[in-house]
Parts: sequence; C-alpha cells; structure tokens
Amino acid sequence: MENTQIPAVGQEPAAASAARPTPTGPTKTRPWGASAAIGLALALALTACASNERPADPTGSTSSDSLSGTINAGGSSAQTAAQEAWRAGFQSAHGDVTVNYDPIGSGQGREGFAAGAYSLAGSDDAFKTADIATTEFTLCAPGTGIVEVPAYISPIVVAYNLPGLSDLKLDATAVAGLFTGQIQTWDDPAIAALNPGLELPTSAVTPVHRSDKSGTTGNFTDYLSQAAPDAWTAGRTETWPQELGGEAAEKTQGVRQAVTLAAGAVGYLDASQATGLGVAVLMVNGQPVPPSAAGATRTVAASQLEPGRGSADLVFAINRTPTEAGAYPLIMVSYLVGCQQYADSAQGALAQAYLAWAVSDAGQAAAAANAGSAALAADPALATRVGEAVDSVR
Amino acid sequence: MTETVTRQPLGAGSDEVALITTGAEAFSPPRRPTQDLALVRHRRHRRTVDRVMTVALASCAAVAAVPLLSLLWTTLSHGLSRIDPTFFSQSMRGVAGVGGGALHAIWGSVLITLTATALAAPIGLGAALWLVEYADRSRSLLTTGLARAVRTVVGVTAGLPSIVAGLFVYALIALVAGPGYRSGLAGAVALAVIMTPVVESACEEVLARVPGELREGALALGAPRWRCVTSVVLPTARPGVISGVLLGVSRVVGETAPLLLVAGFTDSMNLNLLDGRMASLPVYIYSQWQNKGVAAAAYDARAWSAALVLVVLVLALNLTARLSARWATRKER
Repeated sequence: MENTQIPAVGQEPAAASAARPTPTGPTKTRPWGASAAIGLALALALTACASNERPADPTGSTSSDSLSGTINAGGSSAQTAAQEAWRAGFQSAHGDVTVNYDPIGSGQGREGFAAGAYSLAGSDDAFKTADIATTEFTLCAPGTGIVEVPAYISPIVVAYNLPGLSDLKLDATAVAGLFTGQIQTWDDPAIAALNPGLELPTSAVTPVHRSDKSGTTGNFTDYLSQAAPDAWTAGRTETWPQELGGEAAEKTQGVRQAVTLAAGAVGYLDASQATGLGVAVLMVNGQPVPPSAAGATRTVAASQLEPGRGSADLVFAINRTPTEAGAYPLIMVSYLVGCQQYADSAQGALAQAYLAWAVSDAGQAAAAANAGSAALAADPALATRVGEAVDSVR
Repeated sequence: MTETVTRQPLGAGSDEVALITTGAEAFSPPRRPTQDLALVRHRRHRRTVDRVMTVALASCAAVAAVPLLSLLWTTLSHGLSRIDPTFFSQSMRGVAGVGGGALHAIWGSVLITLTATALAAPIGLGAALWLVEYADRSRSLLTTGLARAVRTVVGVTAGLPSIVAGLFVYALIALVAGPGYRSGLAGAVALAVIMTPVVESACEEVLARVPGELREGALALGAPRWRCVTSVVLPTARPGVISGVLLGVSRVVGETAPLLLVAGFTDSMNLNLLDGRMASLPVYIYSQWQNKGVAAAAYDARAWSAALVLVVLVLALNLTARLSARWATRKER
C-alpha cells in the first residue's frame, strides 16, 4: 500500500477534529458526494433497456405466443456457435423466452442434465445405453426415457502452420504418424509420397492436442483408430493419451492459438474455427477429399444408427471408412439431449419448441451460417426421423 | 510535496551536492596534491556511483511502467473499433455473429459489484474497527487471541485464489438452491468473499494511523467509546476508508472465475439480482473470446472493446479513490 492512498490520516489532527464538530457538517459530504456523482453519471449514461430487446408488453398483444420462461442448457463447446445461432433465432421469435447455453464440455453437460441443472444438454457423445437404464434424470417424468437427436454435424480439420504451403494432402496413416511422433519432420517420405511436386519444408513437426477432455479428440481418435488401425493403437479416447507427447492446448481456441503461433505446428479442430490456417485435404480411398459440409453429410449418410436404442434416441455409429466419393470421414456428430417427457409440462413445451427450431430447416441453416456445420436437411430421411423424435417431446 | 524536496539531492543536482558537502574544504588553503587527488577521486567515484544508481533506478521505474502502458496501448488499439453507440445500447440477445453490444454485461458488472461492496464494506470496516478500537486495547487474553486468529484468517483469505471463493459460494448455493442455480446475488456474494479481506486490511491500516491523542481527548471529555469511534476515529479515517473500499472494488470488478461459476452468462438484460443469470464484463470477454462463430473477427472485436471498457472502469475507480482522498485532505487543511 502506498502512502498516497491514505494521506489524510494523522495530518493536522487538531484541524481534522475541529473541522467536524458535528457528524452532519457540510464538509463531510463532499468526497461521498463526488463518488456518488460519478456513479450516478455512469448510471445515467447507460440505459436500463437494451434497444435490441423487446420491452415487456403489458397489452398482451403477443398472446398468440404462449411461450415464456427460461431454458438453461449446457454441454459441448463445439456446439457453441450453432447454439448461438439457434438462441438468436429462437429468442427473436419468442420475446418472453430466454435461452442460456453454457459451453462447459459434453461430459459436464450430460452430468448437469442428469442432475437437473440443465433442461437440455448438447453433447458430442450420446449417453451409453447402459447409463440411460441406470441414470435417474431429475427433470424427466418418472419412468420416461430421453431423446437424443443429431443436431450439429461438422467436419473436423487437420490444421497446420506451414508458411507458403496451402494444399497439403494427408491420409489417416500420415495424420496418425504426425500425432504419435512417428513423423518428426515435414519432409518425411510418408508425407512427400502423398504430395508429389510439393516442396515440403524441413522444419520439425509440432503436434498440438487438446489438454481437456473433448468430443473433438474423441472423434479425431475414433477416425484414426478406424481408418489407420496400424498406425494408431490408442483407440478412441476423449482424453489425449499423455504418452504420445506433443503440445497441449486448452479448448478449441487454445489449439487454434497454438497452431497459429508456431510454424510447423499441426492440430485438429472444428472446421468453423480454422479460418486463416492451412487445412489438410484427406486422402480417402486414394482420392483427395477437402473438408466440407457436403462431405460430412455424405459420411453421415454412409453411417448406421446404433442398434438397440429407442425410436427417439438417434445415435450414429459413424463409419470412418466410407466408400462414397467425396465423403469426408473426419466429422463430428453432436447431439441435443432432452427428456421424452418433462416432469414440468411448461418446461417440456419450451424444450420441445427449442429442439424443433434447432433441427428445423431454418435452424439448421442458421447454424450452418454461423458455425459452418452441415445441415440435416441435406439428408431428408434423417431430417424426418429427427423431426419425429423431437415432436415426441412433451 | 515533501517527496520532491527530499528526492532532489539524490537526483540531477548531485554535482552541487558534492560541492556543497565538501564546500568547506574547497575554500580552505591549498593542500598537498596527493590529498587533492584523493579528494577528486573520491568525488568522481561518488558521482559515478550516483549516476549509475540513478540510471538503474530510473530504468526500474520505466520497466515497472512498461506492462501497464503496453496493456493500455493494446486494449486501446484493439478495443476502439467497437466503441460505438450500439455497444452501449444493445445486449447480445438475438445476435449471432456480427453486431450486438455489452449493455447487459456492463449493467451486470455494475449491479454485482455494487452489491458486493454493500456486503463487503460494512463487514470489512466493522472487523477493522473491532480489531483496532476494541481488541487491540483489550487486556483479555481471549479477545487478543481471537483478534490474532481473525488477523490470520483475513490474511489467508486475502491470498485465496478467486476460483476457490467462487467454488465456495457455488457449493454453498448448490446445497441451498440445487444445482444449476445461478444469480447475480450469488456472484455478488462470491465477490464479497474476495473483497472483505482487502477492505479489512486497508481499513485496519488506516484506523491504526488515527493518533491516539484524538481518542484520548474524546474519552477524556467523557465521550463513550462508541461516540469516540463514530465522531472522531471514523471521520478522521474517512478518506482512507473510502480509498480502501474503492481499491477493494477495483480488485473484484475484473474477476472472471467466480462469476462464471455462480452468476453464469446470458445474452439478455437482467436487472434482477435474485432471479436468473446475470452477465458481467469479465465473463462477457471470456465467452466472446472462447466461443467464436464463423465471423471470428466480430467476437474478437467485442471482447477487446469490453476489455477496454473494463480497463477504463478500473482506472476510473482507482483515480476516484486517489482523488477523493486528496480532496478530503486538502479541505481539512
């Protein structure tokens, strides 16, 4: 503490005590007054109503819209941009509804949903069937199941920072080699063989992975273990295997930052977040496939729903080795999770309306614009099934 | 004022100082050359040491200022792009991508911080009053022991990582209101936990500096202890108390972790501290940076502008603290 912060004390004590014979002396109010005036000026400078928000309507002219209340949702951080788009559209249509989404990670989102903290969860991984049977979902009516629908389908890209190099091609084995440390430099023969005619730098490879438990890591390792089982032996895991080394970065933005800052770095992240970075074209069945929403849709079309689940529990077992031309296998399918029937019917109506908007053509288009995801509508059969599942929410 | 006077001999005027201090010798009759040489050497040595130290200390001061200046420059250069009327008149409700503002976060920060102050300032000041005015003058072993315990606890709490304060309040609220409950009041309580020891130690220091003669005078005139405290000690210490409280405010106004946990984040205006999530500037910055959409530049710009608003807010609070203390001093002279 510096002296200047408390200069008055003890200086000329006689004058100090003489200046205030009574507690109500006029001099006493001045410093308080000054702070109060500044505070007041600050408060007046801000309006208490946001101009983009509709003020509460006392006339009831919006009676056609019966929805009001708050939806608290949370989970997958990959869904954040899509959720923002859905929230924006939904709240504009329903002025009395507030939707909040906490991007705290899929695992925590599912836990929060089961514990009753969230009425909807966004999750890159669906609940396991065994967990659904044993978990008690606090907000759901007793004896009813849960609804899980794919709502956010997005390519994951292998992003690299190699100045002056833009169209790098990699296959699953090469990607696994980069991230396991088998490939140490960018001019490795394995990469050179995939990129004839491309002058590769001799710089060292710095693989960047997620330090937190992540659905992106889960889908990335799932792809490697299916498409390059010999080069990648760690299997599917949401937590990066520490023994593989590499640079750890927190969340998508951390990976993006780490790759942006270091030449020779390579990382994996949601396609929407890779602007400004080099993005690898994946070799699938000998053909180059750039990451795209359309390519993601093709992979989903080539994948099967997991068997043994309810009619409203639509979970994909993603086929990472699709044979269709142009199918991009490194994708993420992220789900919205809700109750089949909510214990609180008002909450059920809200959740149903929000889910219906999110999976609708307009909602999917909004998400595609803000998050670069693939729209469900590109696969009409799937869109219909998802729509039916959502309609069953009460 | 006294500072500048005492600083001068150490600074640029050191040559004259050397002359003045050795002036008697300079006017004395000629001495042997070896003695002169020793004196010259001595002076030269002093001057060199003085210059080296001046440069060293001045560069320390410059280095200390560099982070703040760099921070101000960075926030200004990045943050000005979104300092527009929209930023201060709109929330993020219904906004995806470009546009939107931080009005809800600014209001949230103001309300949460004011409430935290209303909670922490009386407790901090009260604790300081008890320690200085009562416990320190008590002969009871129990009281002095308790005072020592309180001081230790306050010291430990002052060093408590803010996330721990947030977790404490989160656990407390989760017990009472169930999981998923978030509100501005909970955020204010978490901030008050952080703020109370700051206010307490600042107030304690200030109260301890109130001269004992003032208390003795009041007590000798027959005033009861409480009267002495309210009419003599507190008015004398008031400027220091104000700046102590404002420093506590600027300590907590930029806290992110506890608010993220217990006040949550929302796109919409919420002026009700008791019900529903409330956005705040630090959490707004965090979420804008962490959760970007395709139009990433718009999110970055909002985060920088909110950071600029926050920095200006903290600087204004600090200046107010210093100015209010200075005004009060000047007036009392």
